[in-house]
Amino acid sequence: MSRLPSTIRRRLGLAALAAGALALGGCAGQGPPPNIDLGAGPARAGTVKPDALKDVAMTFTSYGGAFQTGQMQGIVKPFGKLSGARILEDGPTEYAKIRAQVEADFVTWDVVDTDAVWSDGQCGKLLMPLDYSIIDASKVPEGQATRCSVPAMNYATVLTYDKTKFGGRTPQGWKDFYDVQRFPGKRAMFGGAGDAAPGDLEGALIADGVAPEDLYPLDVDRALRKLDTIRKHLVFWETGARSQQMLESGEVVMATVWSGRAYAAVKNGAKFEPVWNQFVPRREALVVPKGVRSPKASMALINYYLGREQQEKLTELTSYSPIHVDARPKVDRLLQSYVTTTPERQRQAIKVDSAWWAENQPAVIEKFTAWLAG
Amino acid sequence: MSVSASPPLPAAAAPPPGRTRRGLRNGSLFLPAAVLLAAFFLAPLAVMVVRAFTDPQTGLQNFSWFFGDAVQVDVLIRTFRTALIVTVVCALLAYPYAYLMTVVGPLGLAVLTLLVLVPFWTSLMVRTFAWVILLQDTGVVNDVLGFFGLGPVQLIRTTTGVVIGMSQILLPFMVMPLYAVMRGIDRRLLQASSGLGAKPLTTFVKVWLPLSLPGLAAGALMVFISSLGFYVTPALLGSPDTALVSQQIFTQVNGLLEWGRGGAMGVIVLVMTLVLLAVSAGALRLLGGQRPEGRA
Repeated sequence: MSRLPSTIRRRLGLAALAAGALALGGCAGQGPPPNIDLGAGPARAGTVKPDALKDVAMTFTSYGGAFQTGQMQGIVKPFGKLSGARILEDGPTEYAKIRAQVEADFVTWDVVDTDAVWSDGQCGKLLMPLDYSIIDASKVPEGQATRCSVPAMNYATVLTYDKTKFGGRTPQGWKDFYDVQRFPGKRAMFGGAGDAAPGDLEGALIADGVAPEDLYPLDVDRALRKLDTIRKHLVFWETGARSQQMLESGEVVMATVWSGRAYAAVKNGAKFEPVWNQFVPRREALVVPKGVRSPKASMALINYYLGREQQEKLTELTSYSPIHVDARPKVDRLLQSYVTTTPERQRQAIKVDSAWWAENQPAVIEKFTAWLAG
Repeated sequence: MSVSASPPLPAAAAPPPGRTRRGLRNGSLFLPAAVLLAAFFLAPLAVMVVRAFTDPQTGLQNFSWFFGDAVQVDVLIRTFRTALIVTVVCALLAYPYAYLMTVVGPLGLAVLTLLVLVPFWTSLMVRTFAWVILLQDTGVVNDVLGFFGLGPVQLIRTTTGVVIGMSQILLPFMVMPLYAVMRGIDRRLLQASSGLGAKPLTTFVKVWLPLSLPGLAAGALMVFISSLGFYVTPALLGSPDTALVSQQIFTQVNGLLEWGRGGAMGVIVLVMTLVLLAVSAGALRLLGGQRPEGRA
């Protein structure tokens, strides 16, 4: 997130940045893309031909924090070493910067970690189709490799509750999030600017009696009306760090949070417990902006990212769930219980309609943001 | 006795003989800053304004969208209101503080200056999170209140919490100009005032306050304008229903990639700010102009 009061001016300046970059691109010149030979034979996830990218500089961009550190250490830097590519990193991911780069035809982010709903919505617009002759997605969980993105990791939006607050009573699911009689106290959920994603709206509809298989198309107005019934018990978090801090400080008795944050809070001593029944599976995606200088290099990095070893290391380093179906990261029992990709967990998940979300996300963001600010 | 002039500023000094040449030299000194401003402020600003009227099509659709959306207008009013409250709070806190800085010895001055500047040198993010920890329901402030049998008080996620955090962060911008101006006030004027029989309050109102007014105006301007663009602090200390316009702009620019709308919102805030500034500058001049007249 941003730091300075001048943030807004800066964000609005993005447009100008685009113009400036265009001018720079004119004189600085990117030169023709280097000739890249990635070797013959079918692609195998987790591999790259040694020294194939010797003259290439690449920038990997993600959301920062411990997760990006893990991505860099566990995957991207080793990829640079092996392939010979000079690796740079940037962050956090901001969609406006992707648009600025693509419109200026001066793309400096070669592979970007984004939210999967957004990337599906931008396929063919700001993002280019992936080349599955270079990327081996055969071990990616079903349905997660799409035309323009592969998963970067899996996680969940999950309901959590304070074990010490309800005298032995245990919330069982979304209905109990709305039951302020039996489970009194403040509840937290996401309420940041400019976003809306699968999770709380689905939960509201399930609590309102909609069967999980009938959720889509989402009746957003109905979900918001349901949320209205507990509005005065709700508090909102804007960032993952803030949600974790709410659990650790005991400010709330229940919260819907990202599974990685729930795990981190519990590990730090928060007395919270997740309710995995009907949790909402989520994923981040790896994408390549249109007009990237050497698409082949981007594809090669993505292919390397999907390897089994790489995914095991990523989970061990970051606590987020691997996106290789055979990955068996060596983690302790607590973390193992937060891995959302195991068959046992997958049975507890609701089924999110990614296509619906990709198409409708802007409209949902507008409604949700208006509801929040009202 | 006349107290009409503001404290002597370097610019107000008598023009030296070789004025034109010096002016020229000063002009060329200004050039690098001018180029920088043009490239990194004026040009982006121009792009933003153009976007507001042309993205996605040429027309006023971005503005009609904004004024047709009750939520957006509410948030805009809330933003100006919050900025005004923060400015008043900062002025009330900084005024006596800056005065104290002018009367203590060198050591006291060093301590008071550091107390203002050390937080100023700390990252805004860190300070905001520190306020979260202090103000939250289970936080330090409520613990202390609880110890005395008071509270708990809802501080975080309220406008009060936002104002507390923003005021602390912006306080240096009020203290410093106030101190700079107060330091330059001639103390003998105060002695003269009391020597002529004025009570302390009268001396304050008729001598000290008018002379310190330029500092107050400068500080208020900086605090008010900075407040209008605050993003992180209201986001973390407030709740969505205390959101300010910067958060709404972020939604449009980064969440929805609606740069035209974001630009329009920027233009609206800019124009409103300029109008407000012009009005208050006019009012200030009127105030400054009236006083000596009334005396004459």
